[in-house]
Amino acid sequence: MDLPHQRAIAVIAHIDHGKSTLSDRLLQLTHTVSDRDMREQYLDRMDLERERGITIKAAAVRMEYKADDGETYEINLIDTPGHVDFGYEVSRSLAACDGVLLLVDAAQGIEAQTLTNLYLAVDAGLEIIPILNKIDLPAAQPDKYAEEIAGLVACDPADVLRISAKTGEGVEGVLEAIIARVPAPNGEPNAPLRALVFDSVYDTFRGVIAYVRVIDGVLKSRMPIRFMVAKKDFEADEIGVMAPGPMPVDELNTGEVGYVIAGIKEVSLAKVGDTITSKDKSAEEPLAGYREPKPMVFAGIYPIEGDDFPLLRDALEKLKLNDAAFVYEPESSGALGFGFRCGFLGLLHMEIVRERLEREFDLSLIATAPSVGYEVELMDGKKLDVRNPTDMPDPGGIVEISEPYVSVMVVTPSEYIGTVMQLCQERRGELKEMHYLSPERAEIRYHMPLGEIIFDFFDQLKSGTKGYASLDYEPVGLKPSKLVKVDVLLNQQPVDAFSTIVHREKAYDYGKRMTERLRKLIPRQMFDVPIQAAIGSRVIARETVRAKRKDVIAKCYGGDVTRKRKLLEKQKEGKKKMKQIGAVEVPQSAFIEALKIDQEPAST
Amino acid sequence: MVTSLPATRMGTWTPDPGFGVYVHIPFCTHRCHYCDFNTYEGQDDLHDTYVEALVADIRRWPGASRPATSVFFGGGTPTLLAPARLGEILGAIGDTCGIAPGAEITVEANPETVDERVFAGLLAAGFNRVSIGVQSLVPKVLLGLGRTHSAERAIDALRAALRAGFDDVSADLIYGSPWETADDFARSLEGVVAEAPDHVSAYALTVEDGTPLATLVATGRVPDVDPDLQAERHGLASDVLGAAGYERYEVSNWARPGRASAHNVLYWCAGDYLGFGAGAHGHIAGERYWTTRLPRDFIAAVASGVTTRAGSESLTADRRAGEALMLGLRLASGVDLDAFEQRHGPVLHARRSAIDGLVAAGLVERVDAWPSALPSETLGDCSTKVSNNSRGTRKRGANGLRMTERGTMLGNEVGASLL
Repeated sequence: MDLPHQRAIAVIAHIDHGKSTLSDRLLQLTHTVSDRDMREQYLDRMDLERERGITIKAAAVRMEYKADDGETYEINLIDTPGHVDFGYEVSRSLAACDGVLLLVDAAQGIEAQTLTNLYLAVDAGLEIIPILNKIDLPAAQPDKYAEEIAGLVACDPADVLRISAKTGEGVEGVLEAIIARVPAPNGEPNAPLRALVFDSVYDTFRGVIAYVRVIDGVLKSRMPIRFMVAKKDFEADEIGVMAPGPMPVDELNTGEVGYVIAGIKEVSLAKVGDTITSKDKSAEEPLAGYREPKPMVFAGIYPIEGDDFPLLRDALEKLKLNDAAFVYEPESSGALGFGFRCGFLGLLHMEIVRERLEREFDLSLIATAPSVGYEVELMDGKKLDVRNPTDMPDPGGIVEISEPYVSVMVVTPSEYIGTVMQLCQERRGELKEMHYLSPERAEIRYHMPLGEIIFDFFDQLKSGTKGYASLDYEPVGLKPSKLVKVDVLLNQQPVDAFSTIVHREKAYDYGKRMTERLRKLIPRQMFDVPIQAAIGSRVIARETVRAKRKDVIAKCYGGDVTRKRKLLEKQKEGKKKMKQIGAVEVPQSAFIEALKIDQEPAST
Repeated sequence: MVTSLPATRMGTWTPDPGFGVYVHIPFCTHRCHYCDFNTYEGQDDLHDTYVEALVADIRRWPGASRPATSVFFGGGTPTLLAPARLGEILGAIGDTCGIAPGAEITVEANPETVDERVFAGLLAAGFNRVSIGVQSLVPKVLLGLGRTHSAERAIDALRAALRAGFDDVSADLIYGSPWETADDFARSLEGVVAEAPDHVSAYALTVEDGTPLATLVATGRVPDVDPDLQAERHGLASDVLGAAGYERYEVSNWARPGRASAHNVLYWCAGDYLGFGAGAHGHIAGERYWTTRLPRDFIAAVASGVTTRAGSESLTADRRAGEALMLGLRLASGVDLDAFEQRHGPVLHARRSAIDGLVAAGLVERVDAWPSALPSETLGDCSTKVSNNSRGTRKRGANGLRMTERGTMLGNEVGASLL
């Protein structure tokens, strides 16, 4: 279709604010899906997405809409991931759009995550159509929130659409607003091809399916293409559009959205943000805005059964085909055996990967406490990237350690501002900005070390605000901090899985917590076992597992021998399964327990 | 004339501990909370038929290769049966297996079932050693354990046995129950010592699976036993009993010199023994067997002429050796390793590093002096004639291995690593 009749839009919404329901209604109103074929949350195809109520992989759907002006328009609905870990992916989805629908629950108002994405959209210069959803709810306060949104996007409260995606009320108006308010794309049809990859997924049968928007030129079937950043050439075996199922086409014209299948074996060759051009008539410059996916959170992942290591390796290889942002490398731990150090975009990403490993590959795993990546400046001027606390060099050789900081945005009801600020302050947060969205709600922005929020910050925030506050964050670079590595030693032997890097002032708390926890988990031995937390050679906390004093069968006569022997044989078998840390025998379950508890809210 | 006492009476490990016969009487008037033995209450009507079946079962036994050097009647409560009936059983054993001259013939007795007349009857029936279940001399502790006798009754039983003329009297105590303080246990120890029995067994209360006590502990109605506290109590027993002239010769057993239980020492020396009665175990040269547990089934088996045997296991040479080490090291004397290998074959090489590890951990120690026999003339009034430390002369140059004091309290660690 010609450019003036094209519109590509995305929906920005908080989880549960009705994005999927609105998408369903749009599909129905445009007859993209017949009423007979309609099912709820049509676009959320991966079961993982549906279970968690969030979208991991974006999809793009082409809809045809006959507007009130009598013309037929092609509207491409580009889905965006809805979580903080996928901020870059969101930005690329937005870069493929001409406008966005800002969808807000009329009973809850805008949330932090939505606000972040809204700011991304504003920065990208996109037309914003603010919409209040769920006006059919008794608790809806459309006037109040229209006011709030109008303040944010600088429009008249009357311009905020009021709909109920559930009942369908006002949804037609959304389509009209898209045509009327969102500008048509302004690409150059005669220029060399430039298509933006805004998502790519791996399919077992077809290989990588790259979702693209043609910014300039034309993408034709069977055309030799080049991924400009990856510098890889392929032939476009199949191009098509999603309507909503895949439908092959001969060409995708300027402004159109669709998919490309080109026999690509892994998604890291067709990364989000890359530009596809024609191999024969190449564009000079790729589209701006590409960024390498950068893992922010790291954790060791180990099979609980050591024998499962090869299975885990195979599973990670397969997972990597479908997830360009996920990185891993083998490592070994004295406590946990052989495993992998994995890098993730964030905590949710980590959880998704872990869950997929356990579910799709049927593996029982143990993960170390997550950590962030540190940059260490050494005495000899060299710089070192440390992704595992165990790799942190001796304090003596270190000039400075820098840690990643994030800009944290919290949207909270005004009554919890104090709670939120206290929580952020405790986590070494630095207040950057605070303003009221309305008299009842405020937006607070802090700069905080990422390391302070990866554990339980979100849980603490939620429990401190009765679940009302919402959180988002984005990286703002590295900053030097007074960080130290705390080692945990069992009978003078460091246990690698428990080493961590914390701020100097928090070292004691960590050491105390960990030593106390381990004292309860480590069975008594033949001798006193000191459990120490130490910074370098300086011990900061100590507990002792007292030596076992009595373990002997009281009565052992003629009738008892077989039974008692079996008892001791069992005891002997149990010993064989224990991990040996120096002379101390520790059941695997103790490590698992100790690491497990660390992911629960701290009892501070 | 000076004759030597057998090593078993000395409580010393020996490669040849004689031959034993065990008889099980599976009846009690009342079952204690902590008890996991094969015993039943309220089956009084079975007593006579049980004895008849037991006698018949013994009499149909093909006989033993050597006469018994020890016989032990345990339970249950053997003294629920009249001395004459116990005598009938003993008679059957004598007829079938033979009983060596000077054999130790023990019967267990519960205080509430015995008096001087009963003890006289037991002596007349052929028993020469009695083991009395005192358990405690503190009323609240007895109550907690579910014992039905009073402290006075227990003392009376000890006195009655001695008065009736029993030369070998043993008292059983249980310590470390949640109801017992250190003072309580000291009172029990001192009360028993005051009666001057020849032998004292003191057992740490063990919460055995499947007992009412285990249920009480699991449901939080009774606190679990505290192993640290029990270790302290064990030390207290050693102090009080040691000061009174008793030497600990096994984990839970103390005796005046020469008054160890030959029958029990036979168990710890992995010796051979026959087991008669419901739920009894026997062991002959690496073959272990056990009989049917329910008295009713036992009686029925004998009546219909089928075996009372319910199961058996055949030990490999190595497992037998491991078991023998686990048992032998319970003895304070330790094990004479040279004699051990003569009997069990070269089984120690494979255990070398385990032994070295235990030595390094201070749980076992090597001893180069081995106690030799004590002349029997020194027996008699032990408290005056034999001092605490005169446990026979010592044979130098021995290759012995024994548990240290600490190792004794951690015997499961030792046993498990040598199995």
